[in-house]
Amino acid sequence: MAANNTPAGIDKEQAFGMAETEMEYRVELFNRLAQTCFNKCVDKRYKESELNMGENSCIDRCVSKYWQVNGMIGQMLSAGGRPPI
Amino acid sequence: MAASNSENDSKNEIPSSSEAEQPQFQAIRMPTMEEIRAQEVWNNCAVRSVVSGVMGGGLGFFMGMFLGALDNPIMQDEMTGRQQFVYNVKQMGRRSLSSAKAFAVMGLVFSAVECVVEKARAKHDTTNTVVAGCVTGGTMSARGGPKAACAGCAGFAAFSVLIEKFFDRHT
Repeated sequence: MAANNTPAGIDKEQAFGMAETEMEYRVELFNRLAQTCFNKCVDKRYKESELNMGENSCIDRCVSKYWQVNGMIGQMLSAGGRPPI
Repeated sequence: MAASNSENDSKNEIPSSSEAEQPQFQAIRMPTMEEIRAQEVWNNCAVRSVVSGVMGGGLGFFMGMFLGALDNPIMQDEMTGRQQFVYNVKQMGRRSLSSAKAFAVMGLVFSAVECVVEKARAKHDTTNTVVAGCVTGGTMSARGGPKAACAGCAGFAAFSVLIEKFFDRHT
């Protein structure tokens, strides 16, 4: 990373800012994903500390759906402002 | 949620002058790949049902042996003591094997059905137990015709729900 210092006119400050924004986005995404799937899948009356099989498969499905939808929406937003109808 | 919790649970350093009995708090570790794989083995339906079948077989073996030991031969007056003992041992062996087979099948079917239903529904409920109990009871009494199968289904489902509630009360 130290070898390529000047990629196409972006200076260090801008790259750092972009990396910070990206990091904040990722952390927010992870926190929201964990919160949503936890509220959806785990019963609030805790009976044991381990995740049982139903909760495991529910979390698998929830995370998969969330990630897929997130990717789709990201693509739609980045491909242009027009909503596809 | 997870990113903010890791700061609260950081290591609490206790001054070295305190005794060793005071609990040391440790940071939350993410599980390693080996730990995850070890937990994933137990989530597999085939593994769970086979282990349940083996445990059921063991339980049935001991129960059959115990019940077979209590059985008395029909022609008790005509046999000598040694003959009675040999008869008793054979009876115990026969009963324990058949009982072990029955219980092993019961445990295998129940655990397999419950695992599959719970994975499909993605919920931890008593409905899984009811369905699994019904299927197990139905297959075990399927030889008696449809009425016996229904009765076995309902009876075994009720029994397994009771057992599950009984075990849940302790935790």
